[in-house]
Amino acid sequence: MQAVQEKVRPSPAKTAGAAIEVSHLTKAFYDSQDDRVTVAVSDVSFEVERGEFVCIVGPSGCGKTTVLRILAGLEDELSGSVKLHSSTPPAMVFQEASVLPWLTVSQNIAFPLSLKGVPRAQQETRVREMLTLTGLTDFANALPHQLSGGMKQRVSVARALVDDRDILLMDEPFGALDEQTRLVLQQELLRIWETTGKTVVFITHSVDEALTLADRVLVMSPRPGRLVADMRVPFERPRDVVEMRRDKRFWDMTYEVWRLLASPAEA
Amino acid sequence: MSTATTILTEDELRRLKAPARREKLFRFASYFSPLLLLLIWELSSQFNLIDRRFFPAPSAIAETAWRMIVSLELFEHMGATLRRVGIGYMMGAIPGITLGLILGLSQPARRILGPIFSALYPVPKIAILPLILLIFGVGDASKFVVIAIGVFFLMFYNTMGGVLQTPQIYMDVAKNAGASRFQTFTRIAFPAALPSIFTGLKLAAGSSYIIIAAAEFLGARSGVGFFIWASWQTFAVSRMFVGIVVISVMGYLTILALEALERHFVAWAKN
Ligand SMILES: Nc1ncnc2c1ncn2[C@@H]1O[C@H](COP(=O)(O)OP(=O)(O)OP(=O)(O)O)[C@@H](O)[C@H]1O
Ligand SMILES: [Mg+2]
Repeated sequence: MQAVQEKVRPSPAKTAGAAIEVSHLTKAFYDSQDDRVTVAVSDVSFEVERGEFVCIVGPSGCGKTTVLRILAGLEDELSGSVKLHSSTPPAMVFQEASVLPWLTVSQNIAFPLSLKGVPRAQQETRVREMLTLTGLTDFANALPHQLSGGMKQRVSVARALVDDRDILLMDEPFGALDEQTRLVLQQELLRIWETTGKTVVFITHSVDEALTLADRVLVMSPRPGRLVADMRVPFERPRDVVEMRRDKRFWDMTYEVWRLLASPAEA
Repeated sequence: MSTATTILTEDELRRLKAPARREKLFRFASYFSPLLLLLIWELSSQFNLIDRRFFPAPSAIAETAWRMIVSLELFEHMGATLRRVGIGYMMGAIPGITLGLILGLSQPARRILGPIFSALYPVPKIAILPLILLIFGVGDASKFVVIAIGVFFLMFYNTMGGVLQTPQIYMDVAKNAGASRFQTFTRIAFPAALPSIFTGLKLAAGSSYIIIAAAEFLGARSGVGFFIWASWQTFAVSRMFVGIVVISVMGYLTILALEALERHFVAWAKN
């Protein structure tokens, strides 16, 4: 692949070694009711450097969420190993609606802080920042049933960012958003990532989004999910998410990923 | 959001607020619908459509009630019943909710202890009343215990059901946010189960008054149940009705109070 040679980014935190090491990860589910085994992920290996932004793309049901849940410690692997090198546990943005309906927007965002017993004043400052960031200031005291789907998703993003963990796991976080809001949040995420040096694993259905955000794109095959490609995205940082669409390389890579996604699974 | 009043027309605002206003109206009406029944009764009795020996007119009952109020006799009985129900209710509800949360959250605890509760639950509470009187005597302790037992099971099953219905995603959120087991218990399981807990609290309030009435029939020197029983023995039908009405009203008000609390604490659960 042409793109691989063109690595450009002189990232500040780039030398620190791997933050995430996944090797020969296999995960299956067993349904005892009708005695059925579903292999969700098959022999997946990859590493994520500290401070790197990696996107995972792949068809629906190929095991992306499963990989992320295993990284988050919410699910156990069947075999293989997963190692995280980080002083804080990873923060997760879930694919499905995950705001707690009995808490207001502010309380939802403050949830990880309040569990830790962070002083009230400090929580409020931090929550205010997150509300501004996600454009939810007017809804600080609203309950989730008063929010739109996209707004709930923004609450989840704010909650994952609020206690500033090293590793951020995001499962199609902008899937339910309109183009403009998505663009704004993509820019913001890139800005946060560039200033904090977080390690990000980001799942998306959108090749476009993956190329916009990532240092590397991992492409998965249909279920049972395997890694079929590990592509480096050559665009310099900081990126202008609008301007980069004029770059021919952007469309070449889009074509490349689509070709991989369209090819039938080797069973 | 403050600009809503300038953007929307009067008519639009009125239509927007109409369902909320209708809701208030219904709540108001619901307080008074029982009065309608009373009115029908009064008229039927006045016009001899029903046997006045068994169904004295509400006005006659009210007169008896008034005498009992003035003599403070009624309040003594109400106080005694309320105290027994209140204490027994707490004694049953607190362990019921706690154990419901624990067994709801912990599969091993549910597996091991669940069958014990399932085996005991079908025993009619009133059927064991004589046994409880034997063990705890005819004093208040036996009343507390029999109410507590009835309340316990309702709270236990409703709470556990509420926890078991909690979407897994909330547990995942808690775990990812760094919640301890205890925090998962108090910050997720409890609020998630709160709608079911309130259902349980209302059912338990209703059954508490059933149980206390029966318990006071059998072994008591005070309380509304005792008073109903004593009136039966002297064929004082009006007094008996006073007792029946008073205990019903007590139950009704308890449930209204619980509903007010429910509206306040689980406002989030309405869709
Ligand atoms: N808890 C579970 N029990 C049984 N099967 C499961 C479970 N979780 C996932 N699976 C199965 O594993 C496979 C992968 O699921 P996963 O959610 O990881 O897919 P995905 O790549 O995230 O899909 P999507 O893009 O649609 O979100 C699916 O076939 C799914 O049915
Ligand atoms: Mg998924």
